[in-house]
Amino acid sequence: MAARVTISPNRMELMKVKNRLALAEKGYDLLKEKMDALVMELLNTLKAIQKSKAEATAQLKRGYEALSICMAALGTFETVQAAAETKKELNIDISVRNIMGIEVPTVQVGGIERNALARGYSLHMTSSLLDTAAREMELATKVLIELAELEITAFALAQELEKTKRRVNALEYILIPRLRESVKFIMMRLDEMERENFTRLKRIKAILEKRG
Amino acid sequence: MSYKIAVIGDLETVAGFNLAGVQFTHVHTNKEKTLAKLEEFLTHGEIGLILITHRAVEDIGPEFHRRVQEKGLLPLVLKIPDRTGYIPERDELQELIRRTVGVEIQMKTEGK
Repeated sequence: MAARVTISPNRMELMKVKNRLALAEKGYDLLKEKMDALVMELLNTLKAIQKSKAEATAQLKRGYEALSICMAALGTFETVQAAAETKKELNIDISVRNIMGIEVPTVQVGGIERNALARGYSLHMTSSLLDTAAREMELATKVLIELAELEITAFALAQELEKTKRRVNALEYILIPRLRESVKFIMMRLDEMERENFTRLKRIKAILEKRG
Repeated sequence: MSYKIAVIGDLETVAGFNLAGVQFTHVHTNKEKTLAKLEEFLTHGEIGLILITHRAVEDIGPEFHRRVQEKGLLPLVLKIPDRTGYIPERDELQELIRRTVGVEIQMKTEGK
């Protein structure tokens, strides 16, 4: 309602407000489209996450199970020792991709599964149980990396969606109604002024006629 | 760009990921040490993915979330279940989606 007080009712102002209103409506349409696109994208990502998460959880469980068996058979200390001796050269490639102005990561991983010789712990001190555990954990790491990419993407999308939604709402419920109100106010005022002028002229004409 | 992975969790989890070739690990024992280590991992530059167990996250508490919010896109942080398969009931992503989309999205589990 503050807008009503500050706006001076003239044609210049009316044009300005009308332009602003047109711009706001255009922006609103665009944002709304963006929101729809984001929701679609998010739903697709969520679907992928659902699948990947189940897979990751199952594989991780297998990994932990194999590890527990290994610890039971070899002893916890020996297993931890072997783990410490393992060659740690796991590298992942992360590149940043852009979906509708949102930065999302793309993770690529190669050569995560190794054979027992490449792992680096001493083979004659350990049993095949350790090899199994290591392999399962390697597989688990692989799926977890894929899951990480998806989850971060979903988070980024959801956050952007929240921002967009806030903007859409601000336009829809505050800015656009306020501008419409202003347009209405100025038009009413201009009409009123015109009517005032009209009656004034009529009155003057009547006075002049009486005199003459 | 090539990055490395870091893992924070209990001894068994860390040993498991060590076996898989993960280079940076921290065994979570108390909150202060883990938080300091997390800070180190986050600012390391070489690390592109941090895996942290749900339990460790809960031990650290809200400071974890604040710190993770502050970071940029990298490193990625993923919470994982630990050896006991512990996953909290409250799913952050679900929560965020409920807040933004306004509805609870329940994905159908296909042929679980």
